[in-house]
Amino acid sequence: MIDEKMRAATRQGDISLEALSLQHEVEQFYYREALLLDRHEFNDWFDLLDEDIRYFMPIRTNRTRREQKKLEYTKDNEFAHFDDDLTMMRGRQRKLMSDVGWSENPASRTRHIVGNVLIEEELSASELSVVSSFIVYRNRLERQVDIFAGERLDVLRRAENELGFKIAKRTIHIDQSTILSNNLSLFF
Amino acid sequence: MTAGKTKTRLNIGADPREFQKRPSWTNEDILGLLDEEDGTLDPRIYTDEDLYRLEQERVFGRAWILLGHETHVPKPGDFLTTYMGEDPVILVRQKDKSLRVFLNQCPHRGMRICRTDGGNAKSFTCSYHGWAYDLGGNLINVPYESEAFCSDFNKSEWGPTHARVETYKGLVFANWDKNAPTLLEYLSDATYYMDHMLDRTPAGTEVIGGMQKWIIPCNWKFAAEQFCSDMYHAGTVSHLSGIEAGLPEGMELSDAKIPTVGYQFRAKWGGHGTGFYVGEPGMLLAIMGPKVTEYLTDSEAASRAEQHLGSAERARQLMVQHMTVFPTCSFLPGINTVRTWQPRGPHETEIWAFTVVDADAPEEVKEEYRRQTLRTFSAGGVFEQDDGENWVEIQSVLRGHQARKRRFNIQMGKGRSGVGNKDFPGSIGYVYNEEAARGLYRQWIRMMTEPSWETLGP
Ligand code: FES
Ligand SMILES: [Fe+2]
Repeated sequence: MIDEKMRAATRQGDISLEALSLQHEVEQFYYREALLLDRHEFNDWFDLLDEDIRYFMPIRTNRTRREQKKLEYTKDNEFAHFDDDLTMMRGRQRKLMSDVGWSENPASRTRHIVGNVLIEEELSASELSVVSSFIVYRNRLERQVDIFAGERLDVLRRAENELGFKIAKRTIHIDQSTILSNNLSLFF
Repeated sequence: MTAGKTKTRLNIGADPREFQKRPSWTNEDILGLLDEEDGTLDPRIYTDEDLYRLEQERVFGRAWILLGHETHVPKPGDFLTTYMGEDPVILVRQKDKSLRVFLNQCPHRGMRICRTDGGNAKSFTCSYHGWAYDLGGNLINVPYESEAFCSDFNKSEWGPTHARVETYKGLVFANWDKNAPTLLEYLSDATYYMDHMLDRTPAGTEVIGGMQKWIIPCNWKFAAEQFCSDMYHAGTVSHLSGIEAGLPEGMELSDAKIPTVGYQFRAKWGGHGTGFYVGEPGMLLAIMGPKVTEYLTDSEAASRAEQHLGSAERARQLMVQHMTVFPTCSFLPGINTVRTWQPRGPHETEIWAFTVVDADAPEEVKEEYRRQTLRTFSAGGVFEQDDGENWVEIQSVLRGHQARKRRFNIQMGKGRSGVGNKDFPGSIGYVYNEEAARGLYRQWIRMMTEPSWETLGP
């Protein structure tokens, strides 16, 4: 479902230094972000979320082709796996760092692999919309293994921090309808 | 599409012959799994493959199973695919607004008739050889019927197996067994406590769209029992970090007020149970936030609920109520998450969860219910994450032979519940209690050992 805008962005074949360096910067941001999560530097990761963040993962369903467009993803006013603002995310941070947060104490081992990074559009002088794919491997306790894959649609905003951006919006399309794990105690 | 036609395809409950012929578990063995007097439980109830197979027939083949909410399928042709035990079923809204439930299995060669989660349909066509069924689950078209079939082929005999379907205040239940009691009889004296979620207003409830599904590698009874009877884990250790996640910034866990006053109820029949705190809103605040807490305890809607339910205790004082309708329908009145625990073998459960709201609640209250229940009670929920953690570990420990040999302690509150509480009817005890759990396992054992509703019925 490549829309016109995205087609324009991906076809333009812009290899100016400016375009290449922006692409590089965005990719570096994602690699470093992944490292923070995988090295359990959670406080630094939560600091990458901007004030007005919406961290959103709709539920994905099985539909006929005829109804897929309309019904595949749950909508804004429906149930979701995540639909958090910053206050809610700060609560998750407290849980994650807690000594009594049993679902992550002992902690999971994760590996976030981020790729297929496409800058879709420059929304403004300070905001980019970026699409990327992820595979997240989680290994937990003695022998629990979970593998998640999906797509992230981000709005990245220029910020005065080490990584150059904050996340203003993240929509996660996970490639599972039934979540094949006993919880989603991790971040994508 | 007459009722008579459908009836011929209804099951007749559990086969009495089956109760004699399996040597692996005699009735005597099964009766020994729970000792209510001593308060002990045999953990093989959670792990044994043979018990699981028997349970599919004797419990899931005869009990009322929660399928969803009426507003999941509001319009004619709206349907939802779900399960009764391991059996896939389709719930369909009919043209006359009634509901039908039938096995999602084509009787020709057993193909799944419908392979989507839901939607709107005019009919269902099997994708193997094209047998087509109308919304009522009647076989209406067979490709090459006249050219290829035979003189004694009769389409009216070859629709899928049908289940009975009944609703209680919006919740839709189905049952395979034509001899089972009506849903209302089956719910017994538990309806009083269900109404705290389902009947706060004459407008009733509606569902927030979307069914969340995830798996927990544990037996379904851990989940059903916890929602039936276990406030203990919430008031002690399991959910401390969930509470932490819901505290206003700057407040410490040690400042959080965990309630201590409350009650538990065991249904007089049927294995249903519930428990709740009274008065102290601290935990509810941490789960649902100030807006929902105010809506429930101190708003115009709360005063109307008080009139409608008949007492302030029921409408405004109950906090964090948990409840299970035997076997697999669980929900939290006030928090309003509702779920079916779908058994997937003795060692795995699928959770199918949704949220309901008062149909006449203000939009911003509905929105807050949506956000807070998905923040707390869902696969990523800051409360529910930790439930899965416990059950998975127990199930994994039970691989051990010694572990399965050691009977569990289920003594809490033994002999201490009774009728006579001035605010709450039925058998009532202290909030931290296992009386309702004993009731749930008692019902399970009765369904596993009694072939006839004549002895089993309420
Ligand atoms: S299995 Fe359905 S038509 Fe043959
Ligand atoms: Fe719990």
